[in-house]
Parts: sequence; structure tokens; C-alpha cells
Amino acid sequence: MILEIVGLGLLISACLAIFLDEAVYSVSALAGTFIMTAILYALSGAVFVAIFQVAMGIGTIAILFLSGEMLSERSLKKTSPVMIAGVAGLGAVLSLPAIFFSISSPNNFYSNVSFGDSLWNLRAFDTVLQGFVILTVAMGILIILYQRKKKNRIRSGGQ
Amino acid sequence: MDFVILSIAMLGIGIYGLLTKRHLLKVFISIELIATAATLNFVMLAASMTNYVRETLLILAFSTETAITAVVLAMMVIVSKKYGTNDVSKIIQHIKEDEEESEVN
Repeated sequence: MILEIVGLGLLISACLAIFLDEAVYSVSALAGTFIMTAILYALSGAVFVAIFQVAMGIGTIAILFLSGEMLSERSLKKTSPVMIAGVAGLGAVLSLPAIFFSISSPNNFYSNVSFGDSLWNLRAFDTVLQGFVILTVAMGILIILYQRKKKNRIRSGGQ
Repeated sequence: MDFVILSIAMLGIGIYGLLTKRHLLKVFISIELIATAATLNFVMLAASMTNYVRETLLILAFSTETAITAVVLAMMVIVSKKYGTNDVSKIIQHIKEDEEESEVN
């Protein structure tokens, strides 16, 4: 019964993605299609494929957002060298735990469970949920930027 | 639930959108739906295969879908930048005008 409901939701969101006029709503419906597909895979017992589907959905939505930004006409701000150095330093700091605490060896944080086992056997559902959270954040950023762009367009039209 | 029928329905929606919609974003969404339908079919087909063939099939399906997304988006951005519009019919009109100009020259 749940599979039928998810399948119905999948087709409805696919139709909405095609027929909705506003671009942001279409992209939202496409994200819904990806989520429904991932749920369908997970319910069918293919959690690994569901994780792949969510990751691909996030990538597609992010690339759609990036291409939308590229298509809009606005001047690009130059990044200062201090900012670049700061970001590089942040990346170096974030990589320190991976350098000093090897997560692949089982004897650091987990006594008997290796990283692969904990990722695929224990934390599969958690990883799917994290994917949904990232997808929601990407959609939120997309909607906020779209509204800002709309406001700017109204302002430039008024002048 | 018959997943083949579900994927055929999604394929139909995608083809309908590809044939009727004129906006580049809608064309992209239609192609995504077609690719998702194909992947759904592959995933459900893989359930009846041996382990290695199944994994190979899935990796092939997902990488193909990602490649389709990347190529279509890149083409969309290039065409939109070149002709300054997102309407497919206007882009075709621009291409015809360019061809006519090149024939005259």
C-alpha cells in the first residue's frame, strides 16, 4: 500500500514539474520526484541505491541553482586574497581530524566496528536523512535567491 | 506494484514535456524525468540478477544519468548565453537567421 502511495506521489510530482509555470516551483517538484524515487528504492530494500539517488538529486538541484545564477546577468565580485587564504585555512583545519584520527581503522572511536560497516549497516538511514536535510537547505537557498532576484527585477522595472 | 508500468508512465510524462514545452528549463526537467524513468527500470531489473552484474548495472545507470545531466546543463547554459533567451523556438529562429546570413556571405 505504501509503495502505491509513493508511486502515485512520484507521478504527481513529475506532472507538476512539467506543468507548473514558475521555474522555482518546477525545480521543487523535480526535487520531490527525486525524493519519492529514493523512498521507493529504500522501501524496496535498496538503501544503497536510495542514498545514490538522494546524492544525485542534491547534485542536480545544486547544479540547477548554479546554472540559474550563471544565466542571470550581474557583475561578478572579485574575491580578495585574504578571503581565499581564510577559506584555505578553514579547509586545512577541517582536514586535521581526518589526518590525525584515521577513521578507517577500527580501534580509535569504535572498538569493534569498522567505518565501512558502521556506514552501510548502522548509519544508512541516518545518511539518507542527512541527504534530505542538505536537499532542503539547497531548496531554501534557491527560493531565497529567486525571491531576491524577483525583487531586483521589480526594482529595475520601476526605475 | 508493477515498476515497469510506473517507469513507462514517467517516460510518457517526460516525452510529453520534451515535445510540448518551449522553455529550456522545462526541456531539461523532461530529460531528467526520462533518465529517472530509465534508471528506475534498470534498478528494478537489477533485482533479478546476480550480485556483480547488479552492481555494474546500477553504477552504469547512475553514471549515465549524471553524464546526461552535466552535458544537457552545459549545452543549456552555452545556448542561453549565446542567444540571450531561454525560449527554444526563438533559439531555433536565431539559428536559422545565422544560417541565412552565412549563406548570403
